[in-house]
Amino acid sequence: MKEKLFKAEGLVLRTRVLGEADRLITLLTREEGKFEAVARGARRVKSKLAAGVDLFTHGRYTFHRGKTWPIITGQDTIERFNWFRENPDLYAYGLYFSELTDRLISGEEPCPEIFDHLLEAWSLFGEDVDRFLLSRSFELKLAHAAGYSPHLVSCINCGEHHVTAFSPRQGGMLCSRCRTADAINIDRGTLALIRRLVEAPLSQVGLLRPLSNQKKELATVSAGFLTYYLDLGEIKSRLFLKDS
Amino acid sequence: MVYPGALKKLVDMFCRFPGVGPKTAQRLAFFLLGCPREEVVAIARAMVEAKDRLSFCPVCGSLAEDECPYCSDAGRDHHLLCIVQEPRDVLILERSGQYKGLYHVLHGALSPLDGIGPEELKLEQLVNRIRDTGIEEVIIATNPNVEGDATAGYLAGLLKPLAVMVSRIAFGLPVGGDIEYADDLTLSRALEGRREM
Repeated sequence: MKEKLFKAEGLVLRTRVLGEADRLITLLTREEGKFEAVARGARRVKSKLAAGVDLFTHGRYTFHRGKTWPIITGQDTIERFNWFRENPDLYAYGLYFSELTDRLISGEEPCPEIFDHLLEAWSLFGEDVDRFLLSRSFELKLAHAAGYSPHLVSCINCGEHHVTAFSPRQGGMLCSRCRTADAINIDRGTLALIRRLVEAPLSQVGLLRPLSNQKKELATVSAGFLTYYLDLGEIKSRLFLKDS
Repeated sequence: MVYPGALKKLVDMFCRFPGVGPKTAQRLAFFLLGCPREEVVAIARAMVEAKDRLSFCPVCGSLAEDECPYCSDAGRDHHLLCIVQEPRDVLILERSGQYKGLYHVLHGALSPLDGIGPEELKLEQLVNRIRDTGIEEVIIATNPNVEGDATAGYLAGLLKPLAVMVSRIAFGLPVGGDIEYADDLTLSRALEGRREM
């Protein structure tokens, strides 16, 4: 039986108004995965929880298991990523990362790898980072951590190593013989770039210098992969990104 | 639980109110049943009248009946504009009794997760209003959370070319509270916004 009281280190992905003065918080925690919890009275001016359950907060939380949702009973802020509240463009990127994480993780399974990726990404936005590459790298890493990495080393159908196109619906590369109508031609440079974005740490994204055509191909591959293979449908916050 | 049909309907209707659950709905229903008929009719009429007669002012977006009480008030400072998120925020600011300028209601804040971007907030209307009506100072009074702050940042950038003075409502410790219970962000903002005495 699960304990009535528990603690977790979490990242605030989303907040919604609940009832008169409460907030329903979507948290990604290192220990318990993703879940929703109630912050009672968090909309009140005098609430001591309000700032600690706002978006883009990294904190330690204590909970009491309620009937429907856990109730947040205490909070200590570890880090607050203020650049998201100060810069409207970064705010849109921050929300996009949160929405993507929220949509891709379905339950309360611990996912420390995704937790670390998101935390690192939030930090990197405070530096002069290439937002486009950071976003694509995060998308690919998130998919990889969730077990849906694109198949890039050989043809997804026959195993042929000479591959020329990427199929968003099948989630991998195809050779010229297996090529399907939805497949997108991508050059070897783009393929190498995608592999690098999957493998290299997020902090090294800034070292990459892709050509403009490679960025275009990367954007098409990434959008197609998320929409068709991962079946995420419309990601609302993506429409608000600049350079995407 | 078996209710008479009319009572069940009434309880179900009250359940639609925000923050009202079945128990409160039942209590409200029994309160009405205990009232004289004229009082129940007056309550029902007030609800319908409010719905029929109140609308949003086409200029400032706050709640108005026939003419807007703020836009049409010659005694107000027509060079000063306060931007708020929701119509109810206007009533809160009015309650303070300190503000005597005009309002502009955004009817929301930037919230990409809910599909709310600058177009949904009708910001073109705001820019035209400031440009055409001699507004000299704008106070941004959006909520002090991430959404409100991001919206304020966006507005500041949007209004910069219009050469008006733009300020953000101050943040600080709530009156009557203990400093011991203040969170770090509120405290740091209170220190930033300290005043000379």
